Amino acid sequence: MNLGWKEIKRNKIRFVILGSIVFLVSLLTFMISGLANGLSQDNAALIKNLPDGTLYLEAEAEGNYSFSSIDSEFQEDLLAMSDEVTAFSIQMGFVDDQDDKQHSVAFVTSTASDDFAHADHGEVILDQSLKEDGIAVGDILTNQQFDGELEVVGFVEESKFSHAPVAYINIQDYQDMYRTESLQILYTPEEQAAINTEHLQAYSPAEFLNTIPSYQAEQLSLNMIIWFLVVISGMLFGIFFYMMNVQKIGLYGILKAVGVKTSALFKMIWLQMLLITIIALAFSISLSHLFNLFAPAGMPFHLTAITTIQLSVIFLIIGFAGATISGFQIKKAEPLQAIQQGES
Amino acid sequence: MTILTLENIHKTFKNGDVEEEILKGISLSLKQGEITALTGASGSGKSTLLTIAAGLQPPTSGHIYFESHDLAELKPDQIRHIRASQFGFVFQFAHLVPFLTVEEQLIFMLDVSDSKQNKQQRAAEIKRLLELVDMEHRRTAYPASLSGGEKQRIAIARAMVHQPTILFADEPTASLDSKRSKEVMTLMRNLTKELGITTLMVTHDQDTMAYADHMIEMKDGCLSQPV
Ligand SMILES: Nc1ncnc2c1ncn2[C@@H]1O[C@H](COP(=O)(O)OP(=O)(O)OP(=O)(O)O)[C@@H](O)[C@H]1O
Ligand SMILES: [Mg+2]
Repeated sequence: MNLGWKEIKRNKIRFVILGSIVFLVSLLTFMISGLANGLSQDNAALIKNLPDGTLYLEAEAEGNYSFSSIDSEFQEDLLAMSDEVTAFSIQMGFVDDQDDKQHSVAFVTSTASDDFAHADHGEVILDQSLKEDGIAVGDILTNQQFDGELEVVGFVEESKFSHAPVAYINIQDYQDMYRTESLQILYTPEEQAAINTEHLQAYSPAEFLNTIPSYQAEQLSLNMIIWFLVVISGMLFGIFFYMMNVQKIGLYGILKAVGVKTSALFKMIWLQMLLITIIALAFSISLSHLFNLFAPAGMPFHLTAITTIQLSVIFLIIGFAGATISGFQIKKAEPLQAIQQGES
Repeated sequence: MTILTLENIHKTFKNGDVEEEILKGISLSLKQGEITALTGASGSGKSTLLTIAAGLQPPTSGHIYFESHDLAELKPDQIRHIRASQFGFVFQFAHLVPFLTVEEQLIFMLDVSDSKQNKQQRAAEIKRLLELVDMEHRRTAYPASLSGGEKQRIAIARAMVHQPTILFADEPTASLDSKRSKEVMTLMRNLTKELGITTLMVTHDQDTMAYADHMIEMKDGCLSQPV
């Protein structure tokens, strides 16, 4: 017979309360994690969506891409040697639409590459979030620093940088706009041999993300909240089972006296913990993924299956730890004392 | 036939720096199917002796022979297994599992004792015991809704459902009034006789002693009349 299950059935309210607290905490964790990931996408999808590889900045720029400037001759030599290398630039700016409404964008231009959208002279390709601002293919956009016009020729998905939609423009237009010959960043995919020169500093995509000033601050605080919630849920389990175990210490003693194994008593609380956590997680996962589907388009919310699974596993591990630590009460339960004591 | 033999049992407790010898070389044996009552003043060491005999605590020295084993030599898990399968316990309070029904208390005990009976045999055995303790009608009740005497009757049924060789009872009627106490004792005597169970019972109560086949009195850590 399954003691753990019998106890849950008999003391439903107690376990439902614990379950709902775990549900709320885990739901909050999933939501914040979705938000953290959403903001991270919003801030850096341009870089995050690149295949694994290496980014290079001019060493003198000291990690600030906007100060970086790759020597043109060096870049040409490099690109001539391998067509895997891409040079690109990012500049924060504005475009004006036909109604003179201003939209902030991140202008991006690159040498020929499969990983960046390519716009011809006078054309622009935008992140699809600008569709919601009423911009459509065929619209003509202007820029104050630029005499020419940019015709919208297409949209791409999930291409954002520093919370602004990316606008891919032609190198020539970029050079006119910012009056510079050189580009800022070199990118090589993983397979490509490293570029070794003391003029350049190499960054992994993750390291590069941390050079975006707002990125680190945002992610750090959100991740801290997530970890706090995870720890809180572990403590919840610990405290809950501790209180239950303290109440039952006499019972444990009696059960040990009649010959129940200590391991059977541990299995009992593990089963209870597993059952409650799995049911609570099932609810919070469904709800948060439902939210993921129906979240307002403007809200940066992005919850992936992998994050969900990782967090769920962490919840289970931490619940297990909490229940087990509180289970040391079971080990302490003395059959002799329990026998002498009165009815609980 | 002798079922359990205690040989020269000593038990010393340390209270701080003071060592106190509670049992000073006790020997006794329990005979098949007989009820042995252990009496003596409060604090004379009755419960200590009973729990040592039942393998719930080790003696400081001495032997406890049960079947081919000396409990003093066995590992804790071996003793636990003997307690689960061969011993039954009734205490001053019923100590039922609060979240199991009357019937489930007995099913659970059969699980603990590793009973080899199949489902039907178990059901029949449980029904028989509940009838014997006259609790069939409360099969599905939880302990919270039972009276003290009813709880104790279930505790007795639980202690016997797995057909133990020995029943250990420490003041089984102390929490009951004299009428209830008589009922419970009659029941215990009838059951142990019917099932051929050997009993060691601690009691204060003169009335209760009348139900025993033998009486042993404890005094100053020794038995006042060797049996
Ligand atoms: N674990 C222990 N540690 C120290 N002293 C103990 C311990 N267990 C029992 N004693 C002491 O041993 C003595 C005998 O205790 P025991 O419980 O066996 O007495 P008893 O005859 O059952 O008394 P009562 O009739 O009141 O139940 C008591 O003085 C008690 O204080
Ligand atoms: Mg006692």
